[in-house]
Amino acid sequence: MTKPPAASGSSSGEPGAGAPPPRRRRVDPTARGVWPFALPAVLVTAVLVLVPIAYTIWLSVSDRQSDGTNSGFLGFANYAEMFGNPQFWNSLKVTLFLFVVCLLVETVLGLALGYVMSLDVPGRRIFQGMMLIPAITASVAVGLVWLLIMDPSLGAANQILAKVGIDPVVWLGDPDIAPWSIALVDIWQWTPFMALIISAGIRSLPEEPFEAAALDGASGWRTAWNIGLPLLRPVLTVAMLLRTVDLVRFFDTIYIMTQGGPVNSTNTLNVYGYHAGFVDNEPSYAATLQIALLVLVIVIAGVFTWFRQRAAR
Amino acid sequence: MRHKILSAGLALALVGGLAAGCGGGDSGGSANEISLVMSNHPWQKAIEPLIPEFEKASGVTVKVQTFAEQQARDKISLNLQSRSSSMDVFMTLPSREGLQFSKAGYYAPLDDYTSKSAAYDAADFPTAVKTGMTIQDKMIAAPVNVEGVVLYYRTDLFEQYGITPPKTLDELPTVAAAIKQKSGGKVTPIALRGQSAALPFTFGPFLHSQGLEWTKPDGTPNFDAPGAADVINRYATLAKDYGPPGVVNNTFTQSSALFAAGNAAMELESSNEISSINDPKTSKVVGKIGVLDFPAGTAGSKSTVLSWGIAMSSYSKHKDAAWKFIEWATGKATQLKLTTSGIAPPRTSVAQDKTYTDTLNTDTLQQWSKALANVQTNGSTEVGPVGVSAPEMRKVVGDAIGKVILGQSDATAAAREIQDGLTPLLAKNAG
Repeated sequence: MTKPPAASGSSSGEPGAGAPPPRRRRVDPTARGVWPFALPAVLVTAVLVLVPIAYTIWLSVSDRQSDGTNSGFLGFANYAEMFGNPQFWNSLKVTLFLFVVCLLVETVLGLALGYVMSLDVPGRRIFQGMMLIPAITASVAVGLVWLLIMDPSLGAANQILAKVGIDPVVWLGDPDIAPWSIALVDIWQWTPFMALIISAGIRSLPEEPFEAAALDGASGWRTAWNIGLPLLRPVLTVAMLLRTVDLVRFFDTIYIMTQGGPVNSTNTLNVYGYHAGFVDNEPSYAATLQIALLVLVIVIAGVFTWFRQRAAR
Repeated sequence: MRHKILSAGLALALVGGLAAGCGGGDSGGSANEISLVMSNHPWQKAIEPLIPEFEKASGVTVKVQTFAEQQARDKISLNLQSRSSSMDVFMTLPSREGLQFSKAGYYAPLDDYTSKSAAYDAADFPTAVKTGMTIQDKMIAAPVNVEGVVLYYRTDLFEQYGITPPKTLDELPTVAAAIKQKSGGKVTPIALRGQSAALPFTFGPFLHSQGLEWTKPDGTPNFDAPGAADVINRYATLAKDYGPPGVVNNTFTQSSALFAAGNAAMELESSNEISSINDPKTSKVVGKIGVLDFPAGTAGSKSTVLSWGIAMSSYSKHKDAAWKFIEWATGKATQLKLTTSGIAPPRTSVAQDKTYTDTLNTDTLQQWSKALANVQTNGSTEVGPVGVSAPEMRKVVGDAIGKVILGQSDATAAAREIQDGLTPLLAKNAG
C-alpha cells in the first residue's frame, strides 16, 4: 500500500520546518461566567437522559403492572429472573455474535474500501455520494427490501443463485443461517459509512512518515501495517465506537425481518426487551433487560476508550 | 475524561425509548374528532373508503392510522400503556389480547351504549361471536368480521395430477406427498404457518380435530395428554416435508403470496385470505381455487373461529363520538356494504340477507361460504391457550413446534417443552 496523494491544504515540506500551529484557547470550565450559558444544556440533558435512566432503574427493581399501577419495591427479583432465564443468555449470545461479526467485517472491508475511496480518481465524489445511500436509507425500508430479496421462494437472491446453479438458501428461515443473513444486511448498510470515515482519515494523514518509509525501502504492506494503521488508529476507534453502540442495541432491521426468530436465533437483547415490554406486557422485566443492555454498552464502550487512551499514551 | 463522557453519553442515550413510552401523552382535539388505529387487514381495507360517508353523515372527523399487524399492536399497546387519550378507537383481537387488555383496564365497556341504541341490535350477533367479545359480562369490543381456518386448494393442479382433495387429517400428508412427487418438487404441496406467534391459529384445528384442548378443565396445560405429541408431529411433518422453504418464518402474508403466485397447491389459512387470493389484481389463480373444510380428525372437523373487533379506549376523551363510529362501522347497513369486499358478516341478519347471498355467485365463493358456515358452527373459539399471558403462551407453543419443524427437537420433547412453558403462564390466570 502506498500513501495516496494528500488532500489539498495538508502539510508538505521538510519535517520541523515552519512555525508551530497556534494553540486553541481552551475555556476553563471552572470559570464563573460559563455556567449561565451551560446551564440550559445541562438541564435539558439531565431531564432527557438522567430522568429516564433513573425511572428505568426504578422500574427494574419494582413491580409495575400493565394497567400503570406499581406494587412497589421488589428488590432484585427481576434481575434474578433475568439471570435464571435461558432466553436472556441466548439473547446476550446473539447480541455479541452480531456485534463481533458485523464490526469485524465492516472494519476490514471499510479499511479496504476507504483506501480505494481516498485515491484521487475521476468520479471519486460521485462514488462517495453513492456509497452513502445505504447509510442514509431508513433501516425499516432497508429491512423490508431485504425481506423481499431474501424470500426463499419468490425473492431475487435465490433466483440469482439458481441462474448460476446454486441451490436455494433459506436466508431467514434457518436458525443457523438467519443471524448471518441479518449480519449481511447490516454489513451492506454500514460498511460504506465506515469506509467514508476511514477514507477521510487516510487523506488527512501526514505524508512524511510514508516518504521516509519509502526511502528506507519498506514494502507497501509493511508501511501500511506499521505506519498507516497506527496513524489511523484514532479515526478507526471513533468509527468502531459509533458502530459498536449501534450494534449492541441492534433492533430495527431484525424487528422488521425476523422479529427475533426463527426460534429466537436473531433475538438480540433489545428485541427481547421490546417483546417483554410491549408484547408480553411486563414493563418491569423489560426495564431490567434494558438496564442489562445499558451495562453491556458501557462495558464495551469503556473497553474501547481504554484501548484508545492506552494507544494515545 | 472527555472520551469517557462521550462514551457514557452514547451509551445512555439508548434507554430513553422505553421509559419515554411510560409517560402520559394527550392529543386533545375537538369533541367531534376521533383517532382510529387499525391493523392492515381485509376489513380495514374495506372500511377505509367508506369512512368519508360516516364523516359526512355524523359530523365526526375520523383520523385514521393504519399499520402492519404487529406494528399496529405495538402502536396500540404503547398508547394504552401510556394511558394516552390520543387514540379513541382501535382494532383488537379479543381471543389474543382480550384478557390481558381487560385486566389492565384498557377497554371501555360498550354495554351502556348498545343498550341505549335501539337501531344497533346487539342481539343480532350470534352467541359464539358475542361470547368472544365479552369478558366478565362486559362487552369489550364490537365484532367486525368472522373468520376461521379453511383449506384452499388448486382445482386445476389436483385435476392435472388426478388427486382427490383431502377430507381427513390422515389423507392430508398422503395428498401432499403425491403433489410433491407428481410435480417433481416444483410446486410446494402446502403453504401453512410456521412463525411462532402466528402458528397456534392454524395448529389449533389439528389439536381440536383430534379431540384435544389447549388446557385441562382445571386450567393447567394439556400437552402431557396422550396424543398431544402425535398432533405436533402431524403439523411439523407437514410443514417440514411438504411446506415451503423457510416455513418457520411464514404467516398468512407469505402463505397467500405463494398461493396467489401459483407456487403452492394447497394453503391452510384463514377464510379471510379469500379477498387476496381471489383478487384478479393480486392473484394468478383466480377461478382455480377450491375451498374445503378443515380436514377431519378423530373428533371431526374442528376449525378455529375468531372475530376481530373494534374497541373504545378507556382513556378516550371523546367517547360519544367514538361510539358513533363503532355504531356505524358495526351496524347492519355498513356490514352489508362490507360484504361486497369479501368481509364475512358477523351479524346473522346480514349473513342471511339476499343482497349478500346473491354475491356468492362462483363455485369458489359458494364453497368458501359453506366452509365458513362449518367454521362458525363447529369451530373452537380458543385460538391458543386462553389467559392474561396469551401472546406469550402462543410464542411458547410456536417456538417448540418450530424446533420440530427445523429438526432440532422431536414431537415428544416439544410437547414436554410446551407443558413446562405454559404451566407458569397459565398459573398467572389465577392471580
